[in-house]
Amino acid sequence: MMMLRFVVLWLLAGLPLIWGISKTLQNALKLFQ
Amino acid sequence: MTANFLDREATIAPPGYNRFLVPPAALAVHLSIGQLYAFSTFNLPLSRLIGLSKSAPGDWTLAQLGWIFSIAILVLGMSAALFGRWVETAGPRKAMFVAALCFGGGFLVSALGIAEHQIWLLYLGYGALGGCGLGIGYISPVSTLIKWFPDRPGMATGMAIMGFGGGALIAAPLSIFLMDHFKTQTSNGVLEAFIVMGIVYFVYMSIGALAVRVPAADWKPEGWIPSAHPRKLVTSSNVSVDAAWRTPQFWLLWGVLCMNVTAGIGVLGQASPMIQEMFTGRVTPAAAAGFVGLISLFNMGGRFVWASVSDYIGRRATYMVFFVLGMILYALVPTTGRLGSITLFVSAFAIILSMYGGGFATIPAYLRDIFGTMHVGAIHGRVLAAWAAAGVLGPVLVNYIRQSQIDHGVPKAQAYSVTMYIMCALLFVGFLCNFLMRPVSERRHYVEADAAALAAGSSK
Repeated sequence: MMMLRFVVLWLLAGLPLIWGISKTLQNALKLFQ
Repeated sequence: MTANFLDREATIAPPGYNRFLVPPAALAVHLSIGQLYAFSTFNLPLSRLIGLSKSAPGDWTLAQLGWIFSIAILVLGMSAALFGRWVETAGPRKAMFVAALCFGGGFLVSALGIAEHQIWLLYLGYGALGGCGLGIGYISPVSTLIKWFPDRPGMATGMAIMGFGGGALIAAPLSIFLMDHFKTQTSNGVLEAFIVMGIVYFVYMSIGALAVRVPAADWKPEGWIPSAHPRKLVTSSNVSVDAAWRTPQFWLLWGVLCMNVTAGIGVLGQASPMIQEMFTGRVTPAAAAGFVGLISLFNMGGRFVWASVSDYIGRRATYMVFFVLGMILYALVPTTGRLGSITLFVSAFAIILSMYGGGFATIPAYLRDIFGTMHVGAIHGRVLAAWAAAGVLGPVLVNYIRQSQIDHGVPKAQAYSVTMYIMCALLFVGFLCNFLMRPVSERRHYVEADAAALAAGSSK
């Protein structure tokens, strides 16, 4: 139960952050194009 | 029943609780309130509520809208200072839930302001109510994390405060996506975006509030034994919040944070025009937006990396690196412009902004080292007023000095040179504050018997 809670919480925190970072990196790459 | 459920006592973790369940709860709050740094995404659509494609008579001006962000930052600093002690006694769950109500509610009150076209409702909603949510939300998980990670306080608070930097990276594309989704021929979608974001942030922060736990009073990480010979600047005593702000150490740390933030925040606000003006014709607005994104990533990453590093090399040494390396890099920036090296320019600012974020993330652990864990959240709240001061000082210095240089005939590409040297001077002041740091005098330490006598005296 604790492991499930661990996975769910870290996914909830991590997935939006990864999405935001990937969007930012897409923009950042324009600097070097 | 609700009150009991939100109380600190109801959040005490059972034996064997995995402490790594707490950082994502703190991240949920910080990732939400970090939206503040992406608020400018709404400025243009809010200035075209009537005209839609361009501002029409009766539309709000950008100057009027700029006050929403300023009020929010000001209220953030004030509420962190005012409610810090309450956050300590109420516990993290109640504080996070109140922050969720204020921050989510701020969006909804602002949505009403958009529907009625009353800007004062946006000042009251996002500015005042949302600002309270920002201040309470920012400090609410800090002391809890420090108590869960006495062996790695920098890493733990760095992880949460990294979320504040990352929040803008999520909010900017999310706001644009929502406004595009709700756009119609008669609306630019900003009203609906505010409603959705208010609800989403309330739910997301409430999940954090539900998940957070505090350790039992006698809890220690398994196998961890506090060092018998701690560093000179790491206390095993406690200083109360009322005693702390009367010590020179409090004001030295206030100066350390203020100088570090001032040097970074002015650049962060002017990054896009700065790179375009220093490399005229070589950097497009789209590429400049990429530069802003890149330094935002370093701002976020620096929070975790530098705060974690501080657990190994010590807090004072970490800030020494910020100030010395910062001075060298700021002094080199005009040279990178003269050399025409975009790569060197971007690299210098990436490191500078990582140290700006690192300064925010390392300060809670520095406060814990100097004043102990007892009131660290409340003391952190009071130190954050330095952020509000830096928020005014930094942009003013960068903007006004640049304008003054241009008015005196200096080419735009070189107009930032003087500003960079002034940033070096500010960092030197921060260096001195950090250099002068000493342990708090023992007569300021909290003694249980004195506090009990004081309480008995005041109740007579």
